Amino acid sequence: MRSPLNWALLGLVIQRPSYGYELVQRFERTYADAIELSSPSQIYTALDALQRRSLVEELCGEDAPAVVRQPKPHYRATAEGVHGYQEWLIAHLGDERRRSRLFACQLAALTPPVALAVIERYEQACLLQARGTPLAGAGEHPPDSASELAARLVGEQDRLAMGARLQWIAYARRELRAATHDRAPRR
Amino acid sequence: MTLLQLERVGRRHRQDGHERVVLRDVTLELDAGELAVVWGLRRSGRSTLLRVAAGIEAPDTGAVRFAGRDLAGGGALGGGIGYCRRGRGGMEGRDVLDELLLAQLARGTPQPVARSRAFSALERAGAEQCAARTARELDTAETVRAAIARALVLEPSLLVLDEPTAGVDLLARDGILSLLRALADEGAAVLIATGEATALSGADRALSLTEGELRGSCAPELATVLPLRRRASA
Repeated sequence: MRSPLNWALLGLVIQRPSYGYELVQRFERTYADAIELSSPSQIYTALDALQRRSLVEELCGEDAPAVVRQPKPHYRATAEGVHGYQEWLIAHLGDERRRSRLFACQLAALTPPVALAVIERYEQACLLQARGTPLAGAGEHPPDSASELAARLVGEQDRLAMGARLQWIAYARRELRAATHDRAPRR
Repeated sequence: MTLLQLERVGRRHRQDGHERVVLRDVTLELDAGELAVVWGLRRSGRSTLLRVAAGIEAPDTGAVRFAGRDLAGGGALGGGIGYCRRGRGGMEGRDVLDELLLAQLARGTPQPVARSRAFSALERAGAEQCAARTARELDTAETVRAAIARALVLEPSLLVLDEPTAGVDLLARDGILSLLRALADEGAAVLIATGEATALSGADRALSLTEGELRGSCAPELATVLPLRRRASA
């Protein structure tokens, strides 16, 4: 299963059993900036896919919440789903590295002066993004919900990643300047 | 209103017969109520930039103005500017309260007024518990808060801080950044230099300094205003 949407949805079901419409709402709240839903039906399609792979199952009998009006199938993660989700999280560590490698290779394909201009713009974008990252408020009070904890973890990850990116930019700029100097026509 | 203005500032340092360009043509404007953070690696010139901005160090070229007054002569800190340097910031043997009192008495503030201001500043900086302790007895976050309190007793309109989050515990770091954000929201201009990108969060302007060259939105009108900026209560 490759769809990031399916795995993201599985994460929500692991967090707590839920039914389709509630999952649509939780998905939009949780992943607003990361994965865009083109239609709520994507959630139902993803639930089918997860169920076919035995990663989630419908709650039944005493486990199911009391039905008020019409039955809403509630889903919970299976042990296989929880295990698969953890494996997927670890396996995806390589994604960021692949993206970074691709960017560096594409940059290196440009002439040093053009690459330097790209680096300038990239740095501006990074600085803007860095200042827009909210303070976590860590230490003031512990997170009072799973969504606040997630927001803090995401925020800190973004901030630390930005530090690494800015350091890389400083390094790349020096390399590109040296390359520009070396390739300058000599008289 | 532009409170601090650096115009095409250049600075060279000479050591062991070698000369190094530390700041190159740096231009920066800072308004009252603004929080600007300059990120840079070691030896990028970030500390020199702050010393020049605070009037402690004179630039070789260019102009530095604070509230319209020329600071380029260097020497003593300009009035209205609070400067917090790295580490213990010169606070060593005396307890923190004495440090805060001395900073004011030296400027002729009567003792009762100085005492009242000292406690207010300690409270504002979240460092009340540090009053009777020496800098050696404080942890890193408390040291930073005490240094901020010492700057605040002089009621500066510009606060300049060198690496206020360096070595600070991860869970205490955002408390300090929230405090600086709040001081800016209350009307002070705040200029920070940092080697940690985490300190850029919540800034009105994020700038970078590499080999003495300042990049980013160097003038307030070029800065994008953050929508729904979080207002910290710290």
